[in-house]
Amino acid sequence: MRKIAFPPALLVFFLLLIGCSDSNHEQLFDSSKLPKKSIEEVEHIIEAFIMAEDSSVIEIPEGFYELNTQLILDNKSNVTIKGAGMMKTVLSFRGLKTGGEGVKIVGNNIKIEDLTIEDAPGDGIKAQHTDGIVFRKINVTWTNGDKSKNGTYGIYPVQCKNVVIDDCVASHSKDAGIYVGQSENIIVKNSLAFGNVAGIEIENSDNAEVFNNVARNNSGGILVFNLPGLPKSDGKGTKIYNNQILENNHKNFATPIGEGPNGNTVTMIPPGSGIVLLAAKDVEVFGNKILRNKTAGIAIASYQITGFPTDAPNWSPYTSNIYVHDNEYDRSKGFPDLTRELGQLVSLYNAHGKAKTQDIIYDGFWDQNLSKTIENNPMKICIDEANMSELFFTLFDLSGGKEEIKSSKNYQPFTNCTVSVATDISVIQSL
Amino acid sequence: MILNKFTSWITFGILLFAIFSCKKETPEQAVAKLPVEEENADGNLPYKWLSTYSFFEGELNKLHQNSELLEYSPASSLFTDYAFKSRFVSIPKDSIAEIIDGEINFPEGTIFIKNFYYPEDFRKPEDKKRIIETRLLILGSSGWEAYPYIWNEAQTDAQLKVVGGQTKVKFTNLDGKEQVIDYLIPNKNQCKSCHNKNEQMAPIGAQIKHLNWEKTEGASPKNQLIVWQEKGKLNGFESPLSHPSLINYEDKNQTLNLRARAYLDINCAHCHNAEGPASTSGLFLDYEETDPLKLGLNKTPVAAGKGAGKFTYDILPGKPDESILLHRMKSTEVGVAMPEIGRTTVHEEGIQLIREWILSLK
Repeated sequence: MRKIAFPPALLVFFLLLIGCSDSNHEQLFDSSKLPKKSIEEVEHIIEAFIMAEDSSVIEIPEGFYELNTQLILDNKSNVTIKGAGMMKTVLSFRGLKTGGEGVKIVGNNIKIEDLTIEDAPGDGIKAQHTDGIVFRKINVTWTNGDKSKNGTYGIYPVQCKNVVIDDCVASHSKDAGIYVGQSENIIVKNSLAFGNVAGIEIENSDNAEVFNNVARNNSGGILVFNLPGLPKSDGKGTKIYNNQILENNHKNFATPIGEGPNGNTVTMIPPGSGIVLLAAKDVEVFGNKILRNKTAGIAIASYQITGFPTDAPNWSPYTSNIYVHDNEYDRSKGFPDLTRELGQLVSLYNAHGKAKTQDIIYDGFWDQNLSKTIENNPMKICIDEANMSELFFTLFDLSGGKEEIKSSKNYQPFTNCTVSVATDISVIQSL
Repeated sequence: MILNKFTSWITFGILLFAIFSCKKETPEQAVAKLPVEEENADGNLPYKWLSTYSFFEGELNKLHQNSELLEYSPASSLFTDYAFKSRFVSIPKDSIAEIIDGEINFPEGTIFIKNFYYPEDFRKPEDKKRIIETRLLILGSSGWEAYPYIWNEAQTDAQLKVVGGQTKVKFTNLDGKEQVIDYLIPNKNQCKSCHNKNEQMAPIGAQIKHLNWEKTEGASPKNQLIVWQEKGKLNGFESPLSHPSLINYEDKNQTLNLRARAYLDINCAHCHNAEGPASTSGLFLDYEETDPLKLGLNKTPVAAGKGAGKFTYDILPGKPDESILLHRMKSTEVGVAMPEIGRTTVHEEGIQLIREWILSLK
C-alpha cells in the first residue's frame, strides 16, 4: 500500500480545524420557560438557608430563582435541601456580584436534592468540612455562549468525609464538572458529566469509588490527581468501574481562546483524554467503555510532566500502584489533539505512527531510588487487557528532555502483575 | 381632647404623605422611612433595630458611644471599598475579657459593633457622612453570631436584614474626584466567609496581634489593650512587648516586607490560613507563616479557575505582573477578584504595596 504524505503544515492546519470546532452548548432543558419567582419569594429562600435549624427541611418550590447573594447553609446537622425536581427548581446565580460559589454548605449529614444551579461566577455548589454530604439529582450548569466565562467547579465537595454524588448532572464547567477534593469515603455514581474541561475528578482524596457514570464530550473524561502543597497532602485508593467514557474531545476552554495553559493543571489536559491519572496512588480501572477519545483512552502520568516544581512534603509526584483491566477501547476517532503539549507528545511521538490515537499511554517517569530501570516496573503499573496485542500502548521516555523524546510499544514489563486496590464504601452505600 | 384630635389628624396627614411620597421607591426603602416601631430592649437578641441596643447617646447617627463601650481599631485595617469604619466593643457589666494561651477570650454577651460609613468628601472626613451598615458580632451561649443592620436613608436608625442588600454610594475622594460605588451588604451567613476559624464564627480584628499598638488619636498615644485593662475590661495583658503585634501597613517608616505581610494578613489571612475556609488552596498568608511555598512563592494554584488568568504561580518572585495574587487584587470581576467578599473596587494603594513587595522578592 502506498503511503500518502500530507505536507506537514497542511496536516497541522487540518488537525487544528477539527480540534477547535468541538464545543458543546447542550442543555438538559430550557430553564427560561419556568415561572420567574418574585423578589419576596427569592428572599424567602435566602432566609430559609440562613435561619435553618438542625433536622429541618428546606423546600424550594418550582420556579426560576434569580439570586444576587449566596445561599449558605452554615454548620447545621441533618438538614435536607429539596427542590421540586431538576427541571423544575432552578437557582440562577447570574446576578451574583460577590462570593466564591452559588451554594455553600458546611455541616453534618446534609442532603441536597432535585434542583438545578445555573451560572454561578465561581463554583456551582461547594460543600466544605462536612461529614455526610449527599448530592442527589442535582444539575449544575452554565449557559454562557463564551464558555471561558463559565465557573470553575460544578459540584464541589472539598475537605469532606462520607460523600455521595448520585444521579447528578454537571456540564460546561471550565474546570471539573464533578470535583471531589481533599476528602475521604466517596461515591460518585449514576451521574452524567458533559461539556466540561474535566468530567469527573478525584483529587487528593482517599477511598473513592466512581461507577455507572457517563462522562462524554469533555476535554478529559475521568481524572484522578494528587497535587502538591495541599493540607491533605496526598490521596490513595480509587476504583473507577463500569463507566462510559465517550468522545471526550471537547476543546479545552479552561483558558480563553488564544491563551495557553496557566498554573491550573487542568488547562494542560489535551482534548481527547478518556482517563487521566496524575501522581495518582492505588487506582483500579476496570469494566469501563472507553470509546472514541481521540488522544488517549487512559493516560498514566507523573507530575513531572507538568513542568511544575515537584517538591512538597508528604507527597510523591509519581503515579503508582495502578491496575487497569477488562476495559473496552475504541480508538477510531480522528487524530490526537495538537492544542496542548501532551496532545502533541502523543500525536508526534507515540510508538505506533504519527497522528495515531492511543489506547493506553505511560509517561515513563519512575522513582530512581527504587530501581535503575523501568523494565522491572518500579511504580507497579499493571495492565491486564484481554486484547493487549491489538491495543495501541505507548511507553514514553522523556529522560532526554524535549530534544530527545523516545517511545516504545513494549508493554511486557507492565502486563505480568496485579495490584490489589482496597476501597470500602459500605458505610456510605445507604446514604 | 381637641388637641388630641388635632395631633391624630397630623399623624394621619404625615402617614398619608409618607405613603404618597414613597410611591416611586422600592418597598424596602418605604418601610425604612416609616417611623421606627417601638421595640423593647428585653434581652432577646438580636433586636430588630440598632437603636434598641442603646449603644449610642443622642442622635444615633452621631455614633456618640455610651460610657460602657470601648472604642478600638486594628493596627492595619481590612480594605472594604474605601469605607470608613468605626469600631466598638460592649463587654457586659461585671464581666471581663481574659487572655488565655495568647487569645482574648470574651465573656458571653460581648458585642462588637462596626459601623461602615462614607464621608461625602474624603478631604473633610469629619463633615457630613452617610452610614451604610452596622455589623454586630454577638457572643451568645453557643458562640458568635453576626447580624447586619442596614441604615435608613434618613439616617435615623438601622434595621436588621439577614439577607443583606446593595446600595449605590457617592463620595468625593482625596483627589477631589466623584466616585460611585455599588456597595454590597453581605447576608448574615456570608459574614462567616471571613469570620471563620475551624468553621466556628470568630472575630478578626479582635486578636492581640491586631490590637497591641498605640492609637495616636485622642490626647496621648496609648496602647489599646492597656486602656482596656485599666478600665477593668481585660485581664492577662502583661506588656506590649510580651505579646505579638502587627504594624500598620500604611506606616512608611516600617520595612516593605513587614508592611506587605501586615497587609496580606489583615486582608487575606482570615480565609488564607490553615484553619480558614481557604485552607483548601494551601496558600497561607498570615503574618506568622514562614514557608515560602505556603506563602505562594512559585506555588501553582489548585482551584483558582479563571482567577489564575494567564499565570502559573501565586507569586512569581520579582514579577508582580505575572503573579496570580496581584492579578486577583487588580480585578473586580466576581470569580476572579480577591477577597471574594467586601470588595467591588480596586485598592490602588494596596496594589502598589504588594507590587513593590513582589518586585523585591528573589
